[in-house]
Amino acid sequence: MVYITSWDEFVERSAQLFRADPDSTRYVMKYRHCDGKLVLKVTDDKECLKFKTDQAQDAKKMEKLNNIFFTLMSRGPDADVSEVTGKEQTEAQSGKKGRGRKQ
Amino acid sequence: MVLLQPDPFLNELTSMFEHSTEKGTVWVTLKRSSLKSKVQRNKMAAAGEPLEYRCLIRATNGKKTISTSVGPKDHQRFQASYATILKAHMTSLKKRERKDKKKVAGADKKEGGSKKPKRA
Repeated sequence: MVYITSWDEFVERSAQLFRADPDSTRYVMKYRHCDGKLVLKVTDDKECLKFKTDQAQDAKKMEKLNNIFFTLMSRGPDADVSEVTGKEQTEAQSGKKGRGRKQ
Repeated sequence: MVLLQPDPFLNELTSMFEHSTEKGTVWVTLKRSSLKSKVQRNKMAAAGEPLEYRCLIRATNGKKTISTSVGPKDHQRFQASYATILKAHMTSLKKRERKDKKKVAGADKKEGGSKKPKRA
């Protein structure tokens, strides 16, 4: 099993894997409360990427990854992700700036 | 395998997390699917109709499996609720504290000093 140590590398490679074969790529999350361990797996049945952790901060990062996968999977692999939350924030900010300049 | 609507699925997922606190695991799988058989998909592709894709979510505690499918319209609402459930239940993960690291470093220095007393 390929365990990836860097979170950013895991995210980038899983997004690549999904875009290459969206129909067979799946994202699995396993959580054991008694052990306090979280394991993430992304595979297209040819290649497998895994990430394991026991840190609470990684749970927060995983939520962002969940958002990315939800967007990619329900809207399609060509959906513009660019860190979904960041994208939404920039859109909101640009809207406010526009109003300010007009005034 | 029980196929539910998104909201009952979230309720069942919550109870699954609650029941596996002392012992047990929760697995959640996300996959893109059109929920149609290969034959239907080929027909649609040949006819030129765009395929509608949904996100299939499955959860199991080893004994019971539940699933739901989320479309592009409801996916944002679902992912917000899903994130809330995860945040509420993943409490056994360790929290990194920089203060601890500093204390450990300070303690090491002190121990090092006490372990090596120079007595000429």
